[in-house]
Amino acid sequence: MGRQYEIPIGAQHISLLEPLHFKFTTENEKIVATEANVYYVHRGIEQACCSKFKFRQVSFVVGRVCGLCSISHTTAYSQVAEKLLKIEIPLRAKYLRMLVIELDRIHSHLLCLSHVAENSGFEALFMKTMQYREFSMELLEAVCGNRIQYDFSIVGGVARDLKPQVAQSILERLKKFIPQLDELMDIYKNNWTLSLKNKGAGAITKEDAMRLNVVGPFARAAGLAIDVRNETEDLLPWKEVGFEMITETSGDVYARNMVRLRELYVSIRIIENIINGLPESALITETKAFPDGEATVRLEAPRGELFYYAKGNKTQILERLKIKAPTFSNVAAMAEAFTGNEYGSAPAIIASYDPCLSCTAR
Amino acid sequence: MNLASYRKKSPWILHYNAGGCNGCDIEILACLGPKYDIERFGMINTGNPKQSDILLVTGPVTKRSRERLVEIYAQMPEPKVVVSCGACACTGGVFRGMYNCEGGVDQYIPVDVYVCGCGTRPEQIIDGVVQALGILEQKTKAMEVSVRLQKEPLKEEGQINRRNIADQIKPALS
Repeated sequence: MGRQYEIPIGAQHISLLEPLHFKFTTENEKIVATEANVYYVHRGIEQACCSKFKFRQVSFVVGRVCGLCSISHTTAYSQVAEKLLKIEIPLRAKYLRMLVIELDRIHSHLLCLSHVAENSGFEALFMKTMQYREFSMELLEAVCGNRIQYDFSIVGGVARDLKPQVAQSILERLKKFIPQLDELMDIYKNNWTLSLKNKGAGAITKEDAMRLNVVGPFARAAGLAIDVRNETEDLLPWKEVGFEMITETSGDVYARNMVRLRELYVSIRIIENIINGLPESALITETKAFPDGEATVRLEAPRGELFYYAKGNKTQILERLKIKAPTFSNVAAMAEAFTGNEYGSAPAIIASYDPCLSCTAR
Repeated sequence: MNLASYRKKSPWILHYNAGGCNGCDIEILACLGPKYDIERFGMINTGNPKQSDILLVTGPVTKRSRERLVEIYAQMPEPKVVVSCGACACTGGVFRGMYNCEGGVDQYIPVDVYVCGCGTRPEQIIDGVVQALGILEQKTKAMEVSVRLQKEPLKEEGQINRRNIADQIKPALS
């Protein structure tokens, strides 16, 4: 039993993108207990959505909950509003939503991987991953008109159509990206230096993951086959476009990297399938109804299950909107998985969780 | 070696998210990446406020992060420049009027460069920090003038004479 020290990380730290505070209790460099403090960025979006903004404007506001997975938020809100309005959206709009969600997943996963590499001390790999990531930002700009904050999904459908030359360029760029992804896969899988920092770090068992309600790549790396794309078929036809579940078993940083990299192959296949079989139809269903009743929606964001609940009362303003973001489910497990690791590997473990605190705090 | 003359060649930036949506933060990260590469201006991202010259702030200032923001600003050594990135850092943007937000960074700390857009493009961020470089140079000059005033008073016949001192520092200011 050595002496115990308390070491804080955050709220401002070089390895953190956002304000997040961890207080580690350490004993001879080993972390024995962790306290997480995540609510630095609480803005009060739910309250504003129920008082200040009309229900058609809310889809633009909830996009600003999170810049990394804004399309997931706008799509989930649009779906829940469509359930309240009791309308069915055109088939082409569904496929275009899936296309942008998967493009967003590519950029989000590559950002997370590069961040893990940077925090593990591998600056060159960070630069390489960021370089390969730029193509997804360019494609998103070509499809939606903005690099981040797409505002692509609106209530009733999508805002823009996919032009044929843009579709062609997506296929060409993806074809170029596959050898680059193979190269990244090789480095993240076989690099000995990186494996010293990543293998065995931040491991969580399948039972713990089940007990602590982990979602997303964090759960799939521990062996839990949880993916909303596998469960819901009513709103977006995921299995039709070639979705496949990816799981690993060891549950450490290395396994999370592998899950993310292998999911990129699935995303590429889904995008190719969507573009090759894009149905022709209108883009938006017009309606003059007002939202009424209650509805819930689940959607797989890049970080895991995103949950929306809304309640309408036949007026322009919603009565209640509840957002449960994936990182909110993971916070308990995030604090748990540090136990027994070296303090020095904490930044890499934090990055491998891919925490999105602006989602969590709203 | 004169530190001030080299500061322009290698300003270090500090990034703080005061409650934004991460959109501008990942664009700042993209600026550090190979495509936009602000390291060609000598800038590197540092986590330490005590070594940095330019503070990049994103996000509307939430009530919980404002003490941290002011403390980080106070810890930075002079001369320092603040760049507010994104619509919500400049004015509050879409979050203006929400109960836990304030309308923008400039209510708490003085802002020198406003970079607009939601989300901010990397080109705009680069433009903002290059403008900040010019302001940093002006601030450095202004600091040198005040140091000269304190250290080298004019002496005539053993007595301090301040009569013509304004004329002498005027060229240095302009």
